[in-house]
Amino acid sequence: MSSQVRVEVNDGDAAELEAEIADLEARLQFAKERLSRPSPAPAPTAASKHNTLSKSPTPPTSSHHFLLLLSDSALPLGSFAFSSGLESYLAHQRSSARRTGQQSRPSFTADFLPLSLSSYASTTLPFVLAAHRDPTAVADLDDQLDAAVICTVGRRASIAQGRALLGIWERSFVSLSSSASVAGTAAATGAAEEVLKPFSALLRSTGSSSSSLSTLISTSSSSPAITEPQLPPPTAYVFLLSHAKALVSAAVRASLFGPYQAQRVLASPETQALITAFVAREWDTPPEDTGQSVPVMDLWIGRHEMLYSRIFNS
Amino acid sequence: MISPFPKSASAAGEGHIVVKLLPHDVSALESITYQYPLKLISPTVKATQQSVVVFLLSYGGGLVGGDQVNLKIDIQPFARLSVVTQGHTKIFKPAIPGTITRQKLSVNIQDGAALCLLPDPVQPFEGSLYEQAQIFHLNGSASLCLLDWVTHGRAARGENWDLLKWTGRNEIWFRNQTTGLKDRLLVRDTVLLDGTSESPHPMSLQETMHGHAIFGTLILRGPLTRSLGEFFLAEFSALPRIGARDFRTAAEKEEGAERSPLESWRMGRIQQEIQDGLLWSAANVRSCVVIKFGAATVEAGRNWIGSMLAQEASLQRNFGEDALLCVR
Repeated sequence: MSSQVRVEVNDGDAAELEAEIADLEARLQFAKERLSRPSPAPAPTAASKHNTLSKSPTPPTSSHHFLLLLSDSALPLGSFAFSSGLESYLAHQRSSARRTGQQSRPSFTADFLPLSLSSYASTTLPFVLAAHRDPTAVADLDDQLDAAVICTVGRRASIAQGRALLGIWERSFVSLSSSASVAGTAAATGAAEEVLKPFSALLRSTGSSSSSLSTLISTSSSSPAITEPQLPPPTAYVFLLSHAKALVSAAVRASLFGPYQAQRVLASPETQALITAFVAREWDTPPEDTGQSVPVMDLWIGRHEMLYSRIFNS
Repeated sequence: MISPFPKSASAAGEGHIVVKLLPHDVSALESITYQYPLKLISPTVKATQQSVVVFLLSYGGGLVGGDQVNLKIDIQPFARLSVVTQGHTKIFKPAIPGTITRQKLSVNIQDGAALCLLPDPVQPFEGSLYEQAQIFHLNGSASLCLLDWVTHGRAARGENWDLLKWTGRNEIWFRNQTTGLKDRLLVRDTVLLDGTSESPHPMSLQETMHGHAIFGTLILRGPLTRSLGEFFLAEFSALPRIGARDFRTAAEKEEGAERSPLESWRMGRIQQEIQDGLLWSAANVRSCVVIKFGAATVEAGRNWIGSMLAQEASLQRNFGEDALLCVR
């Protein structure tokens, strides 16, 4: 069935080009809007709020659908196996408390969560945004990111999850893209396919090339439907929220708190504000200007290998 | 009287060092130029020296707001250069708010040549705004040893990460002249510290540093630093496991008490690391070895890196004792 649709797409080269033009125009329009609007996430005015309320409910777009899939905890990336330094942080806090004799309890919400979100945003979010804005640059961005991850453990974790995500894209999403093209997103899916296919082939052939989670998540999030110019903010938000969710779930596994407390942390206005603020901070950061905003995070993640007992891979 | 200092370059803060190899494997300066506020001094060449030593100085021992230093270094095939400083590079608060102090270092190391850059740490004062970019291009089998470290400020005045902004970027590029391919980025290591009130972080910069007074990065690449890199990786994997317990009896511990000099040095160093709250990690990144460390006091950080480099001793052999002036 899908092969029939493929033929259709090939026949409709002109339609594909038209769709591509529409897409490029939409992106130009979006870029112009961004230029004239200094703050990345303007608060909706009372009037616009009223407008959206009075409108009849619009069904979520296809891109929202895929973003929700990507943010799902059941996405088979094996994320539960990684704590992004939390386990190491806890061990170091315990040993430092022993050394100084102070009873400083490690705090997840007041200490590790904001540190980890800040560090993750400053080191990787600009790559996500850049790959989203130009999916064809994914191989180059991935190479740059690989040069910037200076930590064996962090590198291993990112590559493992990136490859898992590429696997999901190949096995589950790519076969859908031809049917999605019927819905008028041919250009976008085609573009993402053209980007990711050679990239995964390169990966197979060399076996040494890396594939980091972040560049891939943005490319695959843009793959189902890039046509919505409003897409980037949700993608960036989902990317950081997924990190927060992974940290919170690791905290539950590490017996820091229970599942209800976990949801309270995720739902809290503080967590929301943190994610929004970090997205805003990195919105205009070019990938070459990324860096570590929390230097001690590199030490904790790098020293994870030295823990005597481990329940996580990072 | 002839001035003992080299002649000046034309633009403010500009400097250029060219190092070449003389017959009998002696490295020497081909040229050295500089302009205020940058100052470069190189002691007279001795026939026995392993590398040319250049002191990187600034007038008044620090950089004030708006100072721009732009130093270029070219090391010709098989020549060796060591760059050191005389004391911390102090970064003062700018007189006009918002003025950024910048230092840029561009280094080109030819095939078989080597640079050992072990300066004193940079000390950003309260309210300072600083950007530093150090870009290294390594050709063929060039070697590099680079130490970049930053302290929490003037501890005597109670400063503890009270700077406004700090950006430090190190890039190592591999240049392949024979194939003419695009330069390949091997490592990009950037630290971004934001102490301004616009920082969206809910914690103060001091809190995010978790009691560390100094952070450092050591980057090693090339044949002349290979044994040092292997040493760091081996010592890292030999560190005791965190949270492990020693179930041996006192008698069993006695039995294992006979140690090699390396083992007893390691025992002492690990004790000191625990006492000083020193944390470090080492990783192999695309043919470079990158070591990161942080310590509760500036002296603890200096002693630790000094002791590691002295124990392994290949830098002294390859570059001479003077290359390690700042880490002793």
